[in-house]
Amino acid sequence: MLGGLIDANIANNPAQRKDFDELKARVGVWVTDIDEGVTLEFQGGSLLVSTGLKPKRDITIRTDAETVMNLSNLRIGMFGMPVYYDEVGRGVAAKLLQGKLRIEGLLGNIATLNTVTRIFSVR
Amino acid sequence: MAVKAFSDEWAKQFEDEVNRSSVYKAAAKGWKWTVGLVVEAEPDKNFPEARGVVMDLFDGTARSIKVGSAAGAQACNFVISAPYSRWKQVATKELDATKGILQGKLKLKGDLPTIVRYTKASQEMTECTTRVPVEWPDEN
Repeated sequence: MLGGLIDANIANNPAQRKDFDELKARVGVWVTDIDEGVTLEFQGGSLLVSTGLKPKRDITIRTDAETVMNLSNLRIGMFGMPVYYDEVGRGVAAKLLQGKLRIEGLLGNIATLNTVTRIFSVR
Repeated sequence: MAVKAFSDEWAKQFEDEVNRSSVYKAAAKGWKWTVGLVVEAEPDKNFPEARGVVMDLFDGTARSIKVGSAAGAQACNFVISAPYSRWKQVATKELDATKGILQGKLKLKGDLPTIVRYTKASQEMTECTTRVPVEWPDEN
């Protein structure tokens, strides 16, 4: 589903397409309440989606299904930064603080995370 | 009083629940597409023929929810398909619809970014189904 969402986003939005074309990263998404996940390998203009977590990931997001959907609902604000002060953003930030959203590899990869968030965003 | 699953009476009660929900009204503001639910047949569960639920939803209200053919539901802007027993799991809160979609247990057809934008509305819609008391054909 995440692959389909990215496909639709980049087809509809030139800014998301540009991010997609420039991004080279391996991102894991593990959905904790269904115990399933995917690895999204962004290859600078193409995307390889594999089930499960593949090794050598730059970032791994571990959270529940609802938060995965909420991550896609984050608004993108000034300078292409995700907005964490509206209702959805506060919810995501709260999950982060409560440890219900864990992002591994964040240190050194904040720009990558922001790019991935922009590509995911349906807002 | 319980109504037969996926019957006209069920559809009417479901529609009433949706229109009573202030959460749905707020979350679905701006929604203007039809949604079809395809309930695939499972003869061994006493559900021998596929049915379709056509939901005409507009700007936070359900203008109509009708039960008909699967083909009718498949013609909607968004289509969610699953076998009868999966829908029963959703309606009895055994399966969360969001998780079901992520796991591919419920098949979704339609513009993904749009439906993801209305995640809260679809969650509340699912809540509304759970509030309708149902008689399940495989429990008779």
